[in-house]
Amino acid sequence: MKISQRLSQAVQAKVDRIGQVAILTDTQSSPYALCHQQDLDLIDSLTVHRDPFAAREIAKLDDEGEFRFLKAALNLKRGWLLLLADEEELRQALDLFYPAAVGLWLAREDGRLHVQNLRPKLKRQTGMYRFAHTISDEGAQALVAKECHPENCSKMILWHLDEEVPLKESPALCKEENQSARQIPLLCEEACNHLVSQCRKVAKAEADQAKAL
Amino acid sequence: MTDLSHTALLIVGHGSTENPDSSGPYFDHAAAVREKGLFAEVHLAFWKEEPSLREAFYMIDAEEIYVVPDFISEGYFTQEVIPRELELDGPTTVVHGKTVHYCPPVGIHPTMTTILSRRVEQEAPDIRREDTTLFVVGHGTALNDNTTRAVKDQAALLAERFPEFAAVHPTFMEQEMFIEDWDKHCETPNAVVVPFFIADGLHSYQDIPVLLGFEEDEGLPASQKDIFRQNPYQIRGKTLYYTSAIGIEPALGEVIIDQVHTFRENHL
Repeated sequence: MKISQRLSQAVQAKVDRIGQVAILTDTQSSPYALCHQQDLDLIDSLTVHRDPFAAREIAKLDDEGEFRFLKAALNLKRGWLLLLADEEELRQALDLFYPAAVGLWLAREDGRLHVQNLRPKLKRQTGMYRFAHTISDEGAQALVAKECHPENCSKMILWHLDEEVPLKESPALCKEENQSARQIPLLCEEACNHLVSQCRKVAKAEADQAKAL
Repeated sequence: MTDLSHTALLIVGHGSTENPDSSGPYFDHAAAVREKGLFAEVHLAFWKEEPSLREAFYMIDAEEIYVVPDFISEGYFTQEVIPRELELDGPTTVVHGKTVHYCPPVGIHPTMTTILSRRVEQEAPDIRREDTTLFVVGHGTALNDNTTRAVKDQAALLAERFPEFAAVHPTFMEQEMFIEDWDKHCETPNAVVVPFFIADGLHSYQDIPVLLGFEEDEGLPASQKDIFRQNPYQIRGKTLYYTSAIGIEPALGEVIIDQVHTFRENHL
């Protein structure tokens, strides 16, 4: 069954949210509609869009005009209503709000999601990011707690430092507690390239500090 | 005509964590290909944005996928990063049960020279070419010679196709011949600078204008400036035209499709 069909089935079975986006069905105007979950009481006053690709522009910048390169950041703009004609448009729009999130969720449901821990991810880097793998465990733990904090990213971390070293408890690991059963989770199956880039910076700082001593 | 209607196309772009305009052209290219209705699905994946290359697989229903790097050359990304991230080990690889065909990047397509020349025609249509030096600018990298070679090859092809230009130079942001020294290699009153990049992102909208000398600092991203509407610039005693990157050319959608056909001719 296609991803869009499974998504449609889930929505018909009362899944009604993903991240900060509310999923509405059988509205007067279209089979599916999306809006910011904080705008559910303001539907009649929202700016209407009918093209699923409008989701890209809506999700691109925050209210201050800053680039949202991490789409799971909790700063999605409000004030819009996206009316969608069918399950393919729904899937397309959600893939623009939360890239690959629906597919990752279904893969986890099916037991075929491949999770990679941080150390193997860092070990496979080349070029300027090769140095990132030298980051200390302490440095990596602190970095994850900071960069993956719910204030920065609402994705649920599925990985650890490596097979033997779990991630330390921090708000970065507590995101599942805030999700309802009717919500498609935002899953983090491996560290993003932003985190890899930050690991490199910390690794370099650690190395500079060690040289200075 | 090859039936691709059961397959997916995955276009791979670089993207940026800092510049919101960087991924724009890739979305345009994907839209152009989608309009043709050739593939069951058309998706995008990025090195620096979402979805990542590994995440992208989870978006795809099709069992057979053509991957086209939307990059200007063979090089570090197309030969090392993308195959590693997509877990490819050759032209065709079975990855998590899906058959993945790895096509050549757009930048090595024969029409690249025409696409570059159209940037010149668009931004400086009335310029006297005999009084003009043309600069093609690329990134330059110590990691892989192919990227450098691509810029040099295009400069040579442009010089051959347009002998009326006084000179055509390949230049780079991070290696000799440095673009910031453009005026030292410009014996004509006019100069045209063409960035050999897909996207008008950090490099072409922010870094290169600073290196050329008509912007003082990195400043705002492209979409918040009118850099290309202010041509020509009077700078360092010359009249300089600065074109946008090649990503805005509508022909790139066709180039992507062509690279799939090229793959099929060579490997299937």
